[in-house]
Amino acid sequence: MFSKQKPLWGKKKKLKSSYDVVLIGGGLHNLATAYYLAKEHGITDIAIIEKNYIGYGGAGRNTAIVRANQRTQHNVPLYKEALDLWPVLTKELDFNLMFNNCGNLNLLHSEAAMKAARMTIATAQFHGVESHLIDAKEAKKLVPSLNISDDITFPIHGAMFHPPGGIVRHDAVVWGLAKGAAQYGAEIHQQTEALAIGTKDGKVTSVTTSEGVINTKQVLISAGAYSAGLISGMLGIKLPISVLTIQAMVTQPLKPLLNHVVSSGAYHCYANQTLKGEIATGAHMDPWPNYTTLSTAHFIKHQAEALSEFLPCLKGLRFMRIWGGLADMTPDMAPILDGNDQFEGFFMNCGWGYFGFKSCSVAGKYMAEFMATNKCPDILKPFALKRYEEHKLMGETAALVNYSPDN
Amino acid sequence: MNRLNALPTLQIDPSRKISFIYRNKQYYGVEGDTVATALYSNGIRIFARSLKYHRPRGIYSLDGECSNTCMEVDGIPNVRCENTLLKDGMIVKEQNVVGSLENDRMSFIDKIDWMMPAGFYYSTMHKPAKIWPIAMKQIRKVAGLGVLSPEFKMTGKYDEIFPTADVCVIGGGPAGMSAALEASDKGLRVILLESRSVLGGFFEYRSHEYKEGQSYHDRAKELSAQVEGAEKIRVFTNASMIGTYNNNLVTGFQIGGKNDSFDERYMEIRAISVIVATGCIERPLLFENNERPGIMQMGCALRMAHTYGLVPGDTAVFSIGHDLGIETAICLHDLGVKIACVADIRKSGQASKLVAQLTERNIPFLTGWVATKAHGKKHIKKVTLATLEGRQPTNYDCDLLVASAGLTPLTSGITVAKGTVKYDGHTGCFLPDKMPAKMYAAGRIMGFDDALSIESSGRLAGCRAALDCEACSTTELSDAKNQLDGLPDPAAGCKLVIAPVEGRKSFICFDEDTTIKNINQAIEKGFDVPELIKRFTSAGTGPGQGGIPGHNLPLYVAKYQGMSDVSIRSTNVRPPVIPTLIATYAGSNHSMFKRTPMDEMQRNDGGIFRNIGVWQRARYFSSDLSCKNEIENVRSNVGILDGSTLGKFRIFGPDAVKALERVFVSDISKIKEGRIKYSAMCNDDGCVIDDGVLIKQGENDYYFTTSTGRAGSTIEWIRYHTRYDDWDFHMVNLTDSMGVINLSGPNARKVLEKIVDIDMSNTAFGFSEYKEFQLDSTIPVRCMRLGFVGELSYELHVPSSYMKTVWLMLGEAGKEYNIQNFGVEAQNVLRMEKCHIILGQESEQRTNLLDVGLGFLWNRNKTEAKTVGAVALRQAENDQTRLKLVAFKMENKGRAPRDGALIVDKKVRGYICTARDSFTLKEGVGMALVEGDLSKNGTRLEIYEDECGDDRIYGEVVPMPLYDPKGIRMKM
Amino acid sequence: MALTITCPICGKRNGYEFRFGGEEKGPRPVEKDLTPQSWCDYVHMNNCVAGVQEEWWFHKDGCGSWFSIYRDTTTNYEVEKMEVANNEQA
Repeated sequence: MFSKQKPLWGKKKKLKSSYDVVLIGGGLHNLATAYYLAKEHGITDIAIIEKNYIGYGGAGRNTAIVRANQRTQHNVPLYKEALDLWPVLTKELDFNLMFNNCGNLNLLHSEAAMKAARMTIATAQFHGVESHLIDAKEAKKLVPSLNISDDITFPIHGAMFHPPGGIVRHDAVVWGLAKGAAQYGAEIHQQTEALAIGTKDGKVTSVTTSEGVINTKQVLISAGAYSAGLISGMLGIKLPISVLTIQAMVTQPLKPLLNHVVSSGAYHCYANQTLKGEIATGAHMDPWPNYTTLSTAHFIKHQAEALSEFLPCLKGLRFMRIWGGLADMTPDMAPILDGNDQFEGFFMNCGWGYFGFKSCSVAGKYMAEFMATNKCPDILKPFALKRYEEHKLMGETAALVNYSPDN
Repeated sequence: MNRLNALPTLQIDPSRKISFIYRNKQYYGVEGDTVATALYSNGIRIFARSLKYHRPRGIYSLDGECSNTCMEVDGIPNVRCENTLLKDGMIVKEQNVVGSLENDRMSFIDKIDWMMPAGFYYSTMHKPAKIWPIAMKQIRKVAGLGVLSPEFKMTGKYDEIFPTADVCVIGGGPAGMSAALEASDKGLRVILLESRSVLGGFFEYRSHEYKEGQSYHDRAKELSAQVEGAEKIRVFTNASMIGTYNNNLVTGFQIGGKNDSFDERYMEIRAISVIVATGCIERPLLFENNERPGIMQMGCALRMAHTYGLVPGDTAVFSIGHDLGIETAICLHDLGVKIACVADIRKSGQASKLVAQLTERNIPFLTGWVATKAHGKKHIKKVTLATLEGRQPTNYDCDLLVASAGLTPLTSGITVAKGTVKYDGHTGCFLPDKMPAKMYAAGRIMGFDDALSIESSGRLAGCRAALDCEACSTTELSDAKNQLDGLPDPAAGCKLVIAPVEGRKSFICFDEDTTIKNINQAIEKGFDVPELIKRFTSAGTGPGQGGIPGHNLPLYVAKYQGMSDVSIRSTNVRPPVIPTLIATYAGSNHSMFKRTPMDEMQRNDGGIFRNIGVWQRARYFSSDLSCKNEIENVRSNVGILDGSTLGKFRIFGPDAVKALERVFVSDISKIKEGRIKYSAMCNDDGCVIDDGVLIKQGENDYYFTTSTGRAGSTIEWIRYHTRYDDWDFHMVNLTDSMGVINLSGPNARKVLEKIVDIDMSNTAFGFSEYKEFQLDSTIPVRCMRLGFVGELSYELHVPSSYMKTVWLMLGEAGKEYNIQNFGVEAQNVLRMEKCHIILGQESEQRTNLLDVGLGFLWNRNKTEAKTVGAVALRQAENDQTRLKLVAFKMENKGRAPRDGALIVDKKVRGYICTARDSFTLKEGVGMALVEGDLSKNGTRLEIYEDECGDDRIYGEVVPMPLYDPKGIRMKM
Repeated sequence: MALTITCPICGKRNGYEFRFGGEEKGPRPVEKDLTPQSWCDYVHMNNCVAGVQEEWWFHKDGCGSWFSIYRDTTTNYEVEKMEVANNEQA
């Protein structure tokens, strides 16, 4: 710790003219894929192509919440494994990812929400994930600043408490995985833009970048919210994705006040305290597609209104900073992981919406297996693109699909 | 401490004392004081301890650009005391100390900084893994600044306003005022925001000469008098801009004064044009211990004296890079401060007039010199000055060091709206580059130093804004432009990035205790972009919003990397550009729910209400949440329910049927007058999004109902799906104008007959029929015989204004039968027993019309109607793996499972939608969604409940409906 | 950002008064020609253009009409139809 500092992910290298695997997007999912391709499958001739700098997109903009209390049986095992991987990765990467498994408290504001939560909790418990339904008084014991009185817009009926969840330092995951992937020889090319994917006879042959053409047989696009536009632009494959801005904000730092992640669907609001002491909180999304990552006056106000109802002491805190990130939303709130379908050697990992952080390690792990073996791992099969035309939406949200992305 | 009390610039009234409590002792300030200046006048010099190293911190900027004076005031943590007006009885406390500010037992950390290189927490504390949870707890304790009690209750009044204007001017200094005057002279409505309590900005606190015989201060007064007198300018003082957005939305907040009805109020201003005239802040000088108490910026020292009457020290040294520093030295000298030395970083370029004034006063003046190190543990005692190359280090004793590398424009108003700034080698500043549409910069923000140029640039911006509002001619605009062109351009700025030091204790960010050494370490680790360095070192992410490191960080990184001027990029600034209370943002936060006409009466009857969609509805009528009495009364007698929240619509016009055929799955053309048609709408996936009844009222004229939740989007939905068709039809949303009373139970007819004078017999008014009649020859009623709860049932649609009357009539008529209220939960159980579904409860994203057993509603032959959902239904209808809705009862008279329990075998196969221990059927029953192969009658269902461990309960699929399978009761 | 949308009836208004209704995909296709793929393409698939796209909006807190506009998804500014046509020609 006291030695001279060394570059975390190696020195800058010149882009070669061919790689075994090209990963487009320098975010968490591709860094994880590169790491596992190298570590588990011995594939180390990898180029990660990033237009800006690693972690520029959703990786650096999310509020770092992790949990495994999803709604359906296809998702729960995936997120459970992801949750179990944080301590493992901390050790493997020798990089402190600062996993704080403080538990997630999801507030419920109606009998209907309690019922819906019970199904989610039963699904979690059935898969060995700890999660419990608790009443308002128990919730108040966990979070003393909660307002459980009846005189708020959405009085609190109870909560879903999920102890194994929590928060992970998102930037650390980016840097740790970059370090891990680079150690095995994967090359990270920042400020390099992927421009086109070359195909011949239904097979991937090359990737054209701003720094030159790369010959390759396998390419994976996992560029967060930019994926759908890239995939449709480069290969003409349209996806059921809407790219929306999602905003998050932090208050000034404070001594410990919130010991759990608190969230509320009815208020469209979550709040947790970072290790630095800021209360990080987020709103739902601006319901129209855009790529701006701009924050709005509307949502920071909304957030203040929500917080001042169910965590009224926070009225005495000051917001310090709001920012926006992009989320690629699918109609069923579940991702699209697919490959070797439209083109041999073309893989995609996208549509994570605002769940991309929680899942990055495990998605990377199985996409690496998919690419190395050319066989889709069972756990990823339900996430194929075909499900939309087969009328088999995943049901990760109960909400019905409308004409707009505001599901 | 004695106050200067004869200065024209003073904003305090030394004769009016204000008392406050600090560390449990009573202190006094004077009217006009901030909390910080009041404390300072009482001899307090250390206001805070820094976040990481617990270094002592004092007044530095007097503008809240760092956390140096963050304290707890009246229970609110992190209050920037230098921006907070002192009020009588305030309770002020220190933060983030163990012991006291003077003697903080945590201050030893300052000595072990070598153990904490940039990002050290990423490479430590995780080996072995079990240390981390312990270490994390400690980190949490030492991190953070203030303390907020979970029981804290905000007092005070918070308000919000949403004004509009032609032009919004941000900043009430000379440029902003000139701009506002120019725009208002052209007849435009102007809003002017000034964050301080008085207009005047950069001129306001300065006593030097603006022009022959007039001081800057006098000029500020002159301009502000004009502004205050201008009818079309609405001035908001104590009002800070916190965000700017495209399409010229400006947000801010205003702090209320004595005579205001609010403590703070949120402001959201929509203007046609925006002028940003926010001036400059100062660029911190980087040298060792550059943030010791006793070190201040130029404007800070000058305002301490001129605005608050506080002499900031006895013996002062100046290490500055701007003429304002020289001016300050002269002013302080004239107020009795001994000036040991003025060391100007610039080798030349000083205003000769100012240099002459220094000479007149025998103040030692060095050029090309800079402070390299401050000495003194808790307060500055002496300072080392050296040449820019670090030679000839010389110590000067002092108790005040005015240190500032120069000015830097406050461009956040431009950049948060996605305008850009560009590094300018001449001024050494980031100057506005690409401006957002209809936004203009004015004054010092553009690099201007000269007083006349500042004002002239304001007038030009005013003209530009007026042109957007079509209130300015191009001649007027070019005149304004020519006038500015004839005035001095921006002066060359000081370009020193850092004093010649190694940087271990040179703080680039005070809030996060980030040193120059930390920045070096981050760059060596591979973090080469300022944005990434910010993340890795936290520099610029503290309460000061990047004010202190905002300029220095990109410049230092560029210097370290040997970059050219052109490629220097500034770091991002994000709203709110000033930390803003959540209470202020929330403003007059209020919740809005719709209430039915029966709301009050039902509450008087003991109704327990819940939010359902946008409505409040009575869910229970007793504390028995199983609703036994309510249910049994409907089954055996008669109950009354308020169904006013149902969506109610009229659709008419030549193409009304076509529109209905597009969205409803049934064949609408077959509906007969006097009959009720139950039907459903699907989305394109074939999922049921709504169900309701339709009634034909005439040719191409229908009345229909929707569920409570969908009423708000029904018209939108129908128009959406017909938007290409150019059909001629009209819709009226009658939801709020019509109330609904549901009268259900075997005695329903007897009750209704007493108030209705038409034949209500089963033959005259049968099940599924519709009648219109009047009560008391006055009240129009639309009456439907329906059977949602499975009993004889009438649904009365009544104009909302008559609802209470009809309700009372029915209550009176039903008295002999002991008619009773029933609520939403009782209805839920009653209809579940009848296996009538509620959308969202027995359906979800994975279920379509067929899956939930409503396939009989679908007319598959009307393909030309292009009915929404029909294609998906056809494509999916033979898929046996889909979820299907079934009814079940529990084995061996067992209890009903809880709603949301799972159906499992080795994996999850479905779940319980609604299940209850039925009082009517005397057993546990319910409905569940299960995978197709489990849907046959007689199938055993293994039920997994939350918290059940290894225990399972079992049910059996049975035919639907559970109650009264032949439907005799609702047809009787 | 502070989106504004120009309603053909009510004029330029705050974007939050409106509801987004998807990318312009043309009129509802004739049923008999639809395969699962072409159905899915019409119902679910998007182009996700980073740039100007034609799209539908509903003035929910206003006149209640559906209309389409051109908007640049990278700036959130509306674009005149004329400009779009000119750019396409160029």
